[in-house]
Amino acid sequence: MKKRLFAVLLAGAMAFSLAACGSKEEEKAAEAVKEAVEEVKEDAEADTEEEGSGVTLDNIKIGFVHVSDPSDMGYTYNHDKGTQKMKEDLGLRDDQIINKYNTPEGAECETAVRELAEAGCNIIFCTSFGHEDYMLLVAEDYPDIQFCHATGYQAASSGLDNVHNYFGRIYQARYLSGIAAGLRTETNKLGYVAAMPFAECISGYTAFYLGAKSVNPDVTMMVGYTNSWNDPTVEAQVAQSLIDQGCDVIGQHADSTATQTTAEANGVWGVGYNSDMIAAAPNAVLTSAIWDWSIYLEYAVNCVVNGEPIAVDWCGSYEEGMVGLSPLNENTIAEGTQEAIDAASQQLLDGYEVFSGPLYDADGNVLVEEGDFYPESGEASAPSWDKIIDGITILG
Amino acid sequence: MKDEIVKKHKEPFVRIAKRTDISPRRAWIVRIVAILLALFVGGVIISSLGHNPFSVYGELLKGSLASPTARRETIKTFVPLLGAAIAIAPAFKMKFWNIGAEGQILAGAIGASYFALFHSDIPHVPLLIIMFIAAAVCGAIVGVIPALFKARWETNETLFTLMLNYIILGIVKYLMNGPWKDPTSGFPKIAMFEASAKLPKVLGVHIGWIIVLVFAVLMFFYMTRSKQGYEIAVVGESEKTAKYAGMNVSKIIIRTMIISGAIAGIVGFFSVAGANYTLNENTAGGVGFTAITVAWLAKLNPFVMIGISFGLSILTKGSNTIQTAFKIPKSVAEIITGMILLFILGCEFFINYRLVFRSRKGE
Repeated sequence: MKKRLFAVLLAGAMAFSLAACGSKEEEKAAEAVKEAVEEVKEDAEADTEEEGSGVTLDNIKIGFVHVSDPSDMGYTYNHDKGTQKMKEDLGLRDDQIINKYNTPEGAECETAVRELAEAGCNIIFCTSFGHEDYMLLVAEDYPDIQFCHATGYQAASSGLDNVHNYFGRIYQARYLSGIAAGLRTETNKLGYVAAMPFAECISGYTAFYLGAKSVNPDVTMMVGYTNSWNDPTVEAQVAQSLIDQGCDVIGQHADSTATQTTAEANGVWGVGYNSDMIAAAPNAVLTSAIWDWSIYLEYAVNCVVNGEPIAVDWCGSYEEGMVGLSPLNENTIAEGTQEAIDAASQQLLDGYEVFSGPLYDADGNVLVEEGDFYPESGEASAPSWDKIIDGITILG
Repeated sequence: MKDEIVKKHKEPFVRIAKRTDISPRRAWIVRIVAILLALFVGGVIISSLGHNPFSVYGELLKGSLASPTARRETIKTFVPLLGAAIAIAPAFKMKFWNIGAEGQILAGAIGASYFALFHSDIPHVPLLIIMFIAAAVCGAIVGVIPALFKARWETNETLFTLMLNYIILGIVKYLMNGPWKDPTSGFPKIAMFEASAKLPKVLGVHIGWIIVLVFAVLMFFYMTRSKQGYEIAVVGESEKTAKYAGMNVSKIIIRTMIISGAIAGIVGFFSVAGANYTLNENTAGGVGFTAITVAWLAKLNPFVMIGISFGLSILTKGSNTIQTAFKIPKSVAEIITGMILLFILGCEFFINYRLVFRSRKGE
């Protein structure tokens, strides 16, 4: 508190001494005083709010490890947007947040997390799948720091109570975005650029396809893998090959906007991911399945401040606003899209399960019985559906 | 003769002439000017992004040297870089252009990983020794293949070693996606090593840093004081001279590439057992190529390599820090480090050659 008072006095003195220098400086100084006063107020509020843990919104430090940087305009950009929103909502200062960008999924990640821990972070978020193993190495050494990992699966089995996984029911948003694709397609062939052949991507495109199929029973889908989270060149190549094979709406589970710009260049449509991609391809994008990471970030940070435990596996839903659709692009969507999506959205809110039976594989084997459903993200937060259903073909 | 040429062709505006007389002192002045110029051009780019170049450069140094963790990371980057540079040095001395260190590193990493993944019940120290040997053998095998072809059929080793890189990388991806895939994960990755397969740490960094420094000393004496080192130098200068002197050139090429590949393989072992604790397609991460720059700048002197790899590691780690501290995009940070390298490499040109401008009189 004393420090803060001193800051106010200092700012006041500055204002006084600068008063003679002209109106601009005067304004600046006045602002500085205002800011300092506000800070003192917040400080006092936070002080009264928090007694137990010693960590308050005013002194908490938050670290982030990202695999890319916000210039990707996709995953990291969007996660960082969540960080900004959290900062505003909780009234945090810039110096309370430390970002480590472009951290590869290897030894560099361990160092990055360690540096954050040493910098005094109370809670550290790692946002890429391959960061998890290295985050766990550090988490063992810092039991008082909370470690949260997006898209991972090892928190429950790690035996460490300061490690947490978080994700969202993005498949719900994908289901809705699939409806826009299913209504738009003229060739009844959808394409999908997916990063990696594993559950997170498979669950996503299956939901996308199911959404399309719910409004267009004749639709089929081809999926091409890029084997990288962020490789715009390959994403464009895969998208091109899907378009060359007759696909006219291209969905994506990859970090960049290359899929959408390729769709635009070929005069076909696309459905974006992570953030609203309309700006990148205004004549192609129908809508985008998007994340609002701030919901979890605020939850976890509040837990630390309030001294409450963070859930081991946390999975945000469409209902909570963790996942959703960006506004529909009126220039590209088919007629009736808004109505169809509104109806499906209501169904989801009423508890409709996306992976509802009957679901078959390409050979006609039953994967989910009629009347039954697959409880996606039921126990673990990370998606686990990894079967290829009938109607979807994988590019060789 | 010279007059004739001048008559036939107009003298070009600028000619390049070989320099033979530059003093070491002037050579160093050229190098220092080059570094300053590089920093200046980098500073212009940084300023154009709205940052203060001095604080960015300061942060770059701070981020790689100021804290113990930062220093450790810098050393972690340093170990494979120096190791790979030492590995290619004897081959380059022989003018055998081994640009396959990347693949040889990965091959060593595969060999070491096999024992780490499937024989982790062997006690700690014996397991590490077995991994060390396996890595050296695998690296040597990949290194010796192009040497055999070169010795037997005069194949082009530059292309051969380069292409082998992609084959080995393909094998790593295959192992990740198939036979060695972590059974507990749906994701195509190889499991983390057990504690018994991890290298012990000395002063916070895996023990590889000591071994690699020992390698530097050994390689220096091998290349400058041993008979084999002399043979390598002779083959590099002129194969015909070597043959005339009664040396078995094929044998020397093969032997040298076994050594080169084995050291690269051991670098792969350090990367999987000391830093990443698993094998993936980024295990080599371009080190095999960057090492060529290091070896070349050091004029193949292992002691100079130590300094240059360390400098490069500072740049690598520091450029990561400025991305974080100033939100400078990765690509721009890479442009700045690339620029510094380009200037330093480029200045060697001005040390060896000089530009002769067309004299007014000639016109």
